Amino acid sequence: MTADGLTYVVGEERDLRDLLCNADVLPLLQGAVSAGAANACLVDQKGEVLWKVDVPTEGSEQVADLALFLEGEPVARVQVSGEPSRQEQLQALAELLRVALDTMVRNNLKRMLTTEIHTTVVKRSFEEQLLINAELSKSEARYRELAQNLELRVKERTEELKKAQVHLFQQEKMAAIGQLAAGIAHEINNPLGFVISNLHTLQKYVARFTVMLQFYRERLELDPPIRVLVEQADQKWRELKLQQVVADVGDLMSQSVGGAERVAQIVADLKGFSHVDEAEEMPVDLNVELERTLSVLSHQLRDKAQIVRELQALPAITCPPQLASQIFLNLIQNALVHCGPHPTITVSSRYDGEHIRVSVADDGPGVPEELRDQIFHPFFTTRPVGSGTGMGLAVAWEAALQLNGTITVTDAAGGGAEFVVTIAVPKGPADVEVL
Amino acid sequence: MIEYDENEKRMVLKLVYYGPALSGKTTNLLQLHECLIRQGRGELMLLDTTGDRTIYFDLLPFFLTAPSGLRIKVKVYTVPGQVCHDATRKAVLQRSDGVAFIADSKLSELESNFASFDNLERNLAQTGLDIETIPLVIQFNKRDLPDCLPESDIIRTWQPTGIPVLMASAIEGAGVIETFTALVGLVFDRIDQRFRLAGEHGLSKEEFVAKLTTVQDELEEPR
Repeated sequence: MTADGLTYVVGEERDLRDLLCNADVLPLLQGAVSAGAANACLVDQKGEVLWKVDVPTEGSEQVADLALFLEGEPVARVQVSGEPSRQEQLQALAELLRVALDTMVRNNLKRMLTTEIHTTVVKRSFEEQLLINAELSKSEARYRELAQNLELRVKERTEELKKAQVHLFQQEKMAAIGQLAAGIAHEINNPLGFVISNLHTLQKYVARFTVMLQFYRERLELDPPIRVLVEQADQKWRELKLQQVVADVGDLMSQSVGGAERVAQIVADLKGFSHVDEAEEMPVDLNVELERTLSVLSHQLRDKAQIVRELQALPAITCPPQLASQIFLNLIQNALVHCGPHPTITVSSRYDGEHIRVSVADDGPGVPEELRDQIFHPFFTTRPVGSGTGMGLAVAWEAALQLNGTITVTDAAGGGAEFVVTIAVPKGPADVEVL
Repeated sequence: MIEYDENEKRMVLKLVYYGPALSGKTTNLLQLHECLIRQGRGELMLLDTTGDRTIYFDLLPFFLTAPSGLRIKVKVYTVPGQVCHDATRKAVLQRSDGVAFIADSKLSELESNFASFDNLERNLAQTGLDIETIPLVIQFNKRDLPDCLPESDIIRTWQPTGIPVLMASAIEGAGVIETFTALVGLVFDRIDQRFRLAGEHGLSKEEFVAKLTTVQDELEEPR
């Protein structure tokens, strides 16, 4: 067997020289010579000397020639020579030598075979182990690569999802504004309608006044007797029904002014609510934002919901003002959607020196315990498919996060759900000031 | 074949006794050693065994000389039967010229017989040998025991394969010589044409088999 592979084959033929070395044989031959032999040697089957020890002695002749076997096959001869007179002892010596060599051959062969097969088996097992290890490393590398790619892919996908979500938040805000705009349009249209109608009436009235005034100018130029003029003027006055017109004008005017003022108020509320024209960040009183939201929603609330206010003075917080209105708008709309035809909505606020706490409570069915973790997730909705986007509370949650606040939902005192916005406002900072 | 040297006129063949653990492979060799004449066979060499279980292999060599002077040495090996020594089995099986599969007739050993035969087929393939062409005989050993697989079942199972099947009770010496005779006969058939044993070396199959399987003469003097 060589170092580089399995060339050893069980059963390969062995040469005597493979099995015996000088150190094995020579001491034995030497021993025979010391015991009186003139010559002790081991020759192969062709008669060539393999090992030999001799002391040249006159008159010595070969006295023993015995076969040595390997695996049962004669492979060599043990030859001993010496004085013919000592033939008997020398023959016994030769036999002793043969038995010793035979035992040595057998044992060396056994040892060699066991060692070789053991080495072969160990080496082969080791090589198989190496192969298995190589296979394992390969598959491990494959899995590691897969895992790494997976991480990358998940990252990419997460990034995409985040973008999509931001986009959806934006859409949801736009949708809310759209709904609001529709309500507000109706709100503005109403006063605008009667103001226009009043103006038309007033236009007719002004025409009659003009006719009356024209009548006076023409009659006065003729300089008629005053009694006749009064009589004719009274008749004209009655003709033009100016008595009723005069009585109506005042009402029409004040009604119209009222309508115009209502429109002006709505626009002001909307402007305040949307914070157009305002700085990105400014001190904001959440109570004011809450009121603005309520007034913007007034068309939805009027004749429908009862609003209970329990508001306490709050310190101003510095933030983009539209965040607060986003939170309140979505919370109140959520209450309106879920709480039947005539809900009572309680809005309350207070400040305990560390936190501002604004809550919107309703008297609806409440939020089941097991859903409380999910309702703020994007797309989560309990409403039938198509009627809710599931984004309202998620938008409120996002806005609260941007204010460094949280929103939690609990059971309201009188049943129903209470959404609590908590914003940490430590005492003392320059921009905190109790209003 | 281990060796063929035309100049030296020497051929060394390797036969292997294969089979499941404790099926009697070593016993077969012991009986061959016991029964065959000393003339033409060497000593049985049993390599270190622990508790009578073969962990390396056993070896019994035979010798014969063809009329042409070609000296043929036949080395008969056993393999360790235990499953864990598969690497050793493979090493022993390498370059073998014939296989005697020693099966255990006990009903309870049916499974291990099949497992071992599968193992033989696989290991032959892995050492570059083909179970379809290698000389192969099957011996169902331990026929003396109760709860044996009925002979008719064995014949029905193995006859279609064309592999010679022999019944034996190695411990009593029955069937051992017959198994060996069948195997060396197949081996001769396999190598005769290629090495022109009959044609060039004047060695007939009958002579080849007879020389390897002559039963010991009771009167022969021990050496």
